Amino acid sequence: MSLRRRGPGPVVWAGIIAGTCLLLVLLQKVLWLTVPCLFALLLYYFLFSPMQWLMYRGLSREQSATTVMALCLLVMGVFFGLMLPWAAGHLLDGQSIATRYVQGGMGLLERSLVALEKSSHLFANAHLAEKLATRLDVLSGGIEAYIEPVVTAILAWAPTLLLTPFLAYFFLRDGGRFQRMLASALPNAFFERGLCLLHEVDRTTRAYFQGLLRLTVLDTLTLAAGLWWIGFPAPVWLGLICAVLAWLPFIGSLLGGLLVVLVAATDFPDAPAMAYAAIGLFLAARLLDDFVYMPVTIGRSLHLHPLVTVLMIFVGGAVAGVPGLLLVLPLLGVVMVVGEALGTLATDSRLLARYAQSRQLRREQAQAGLTG
Amino acid sequence: MRLFPRKSLPKRLSRLQALSLFATLDARELGIVEGLLHEREFLAGEVIFDAGEEGQAIYIVQEGQVQICRPGQGENGLVAELGPGQFFGELALLDNASRALQARAGSVCKMSVMFRADLMNLLEVDAKVSSKIALQLARHLGRVVRAATAGAAMEVRL
Repeated sequence: MSLRRRGPGPVVWAGIIAGTCLLLVLLQKVLWLTVPCLFALLLYYFLFSPMQWLMYRGLSREQSATTVMALCLLVMGVFFGLMLPWAAGHLLDGQSIATRYVQGGMGLLERSLVALEKSSHLFANAHLAEKLATRLDVLSGGIEAYIEPVVTAILAWAPTLLLTPFLAYFFLRDGGRFQRMLASALPNAFFERGLCLLHEVDRTTRAYFQGLLRLTVLDTLTLAAGLWWIGFPAPVWLGLICAVLAWLPFIGSLLGGLLVVLVAATDFPDAPAMAYAAIGLFLAARLLDDFVYMPVTIGRSLHLHPLVTVLMIFVGGAVAGVPGLLLVLPLLGVVMVVGEALGTLATDSRLLARYAQSRQLRREQAQAGLTG
Repeated sequence: MRLFPRKSLPKRLSRLQALSLFATLDARELGIVEGLLHEREFLAGEVIFDAGEEGQAIYIVQEGQVQICRPGQGENGLVAELGPGQFFGELALLDNASRALQARAGSVCKMSVMFRADLMNLLEVDAKVSSKIALQLARHLGRVVRAATAGAAMEVRL
């Protein structure tokens, strides 16, 4: 009873795309809940295997969930406890650091244009460096005005992230019970197919989020190794930040690349080769990501056609902005599984006949003894 | 004589242990299996699964009678009748083939159902439990093969 036996037809595909867009719009409306839920799902799939290991050693599901979550919180507590003094020192002058790096990036741009003008008459006649310097002078006066709302928004969002471990704990503890409750609601005729559907939805989301975690680790290691080789400070942290930013398709990689170029331009103002090497590293990492890492982690998990993937990323961005970019692929994967299954069920006349027979039997049982 | 007398199983687990498929499991292992089972109830005459469907689950009869039959042949199509403690649907589960016959509730019956993916996951994660269940399955298939062979020999003699 493979749910992927036959590809969905055009009507089902239209329904899948419409359903995905509708869900994106709805999720965008409750973004304060969507983001913690997303992180909770990541944490759930990360902790599920150790929890299952404990369950198979004789602990109940509740005990296993409590144990793994307590250990996870302990590790996070120790990590943040150690990081707090360092983070507090840096957050106090976070705005001035951001301003310094943005100005470093602008300086690099200006120096590059001057170098271009020196090497080419065409660029020299265009006076690009001069025009850019004038515009940047206007812009740089108000950098704080751009950074402040971003920092305020991040600080306003931070408390909702406290929901993450809370939600993940209940996903771990009650996930099985919830699945069994859903299965028990299925009519007998659709029971096996329904179980298949639930399993396939779980498999798809698990494969996506576990793939995303693996991809993040691979990206972090690759970028950290490359940045360390070039000679960047704190290569692991930079690699990790860029790998997490890459969760946003297209935009995330650009932001990560921009961040590293800004660091290079600010920390090594007299060595433009560092910035160019960082750009080269990002292009190489991008190619490695698209052609090696992505296919073996996320790509295989969702069984999506590359064209559909790219188009849906644009649709997700257009419908729900940055959250849409992040959510569109896992949502599409799940909606596709559900859409295909419903399409198959709705057209299987034998199953529908079995369902009708079952209802008839139940009706007769309920009516027994009412007359005569 | 045991130094530590074996604790008696809780009622729900001893009911599970009474089923032939799980007869060799201990309390911890029964607890694992219990977490994987779904409970279903069928009315007399209701189709449990149909011939030709792809099998995705194994059914264990807890209460009532189940008829295994060839669909559309009435009384003549009856192949076997199963009662409490017996299980069916294992062949399709093992080789992912289509169901060869139809299973129909002979009376109101209560069933425990183990989903194929859950069993496969158990096989991967807990070798001890899975080997015990696999051995019980193999014993059951051995009995089926011996019965079928004896039936064929009888037909030849007749």
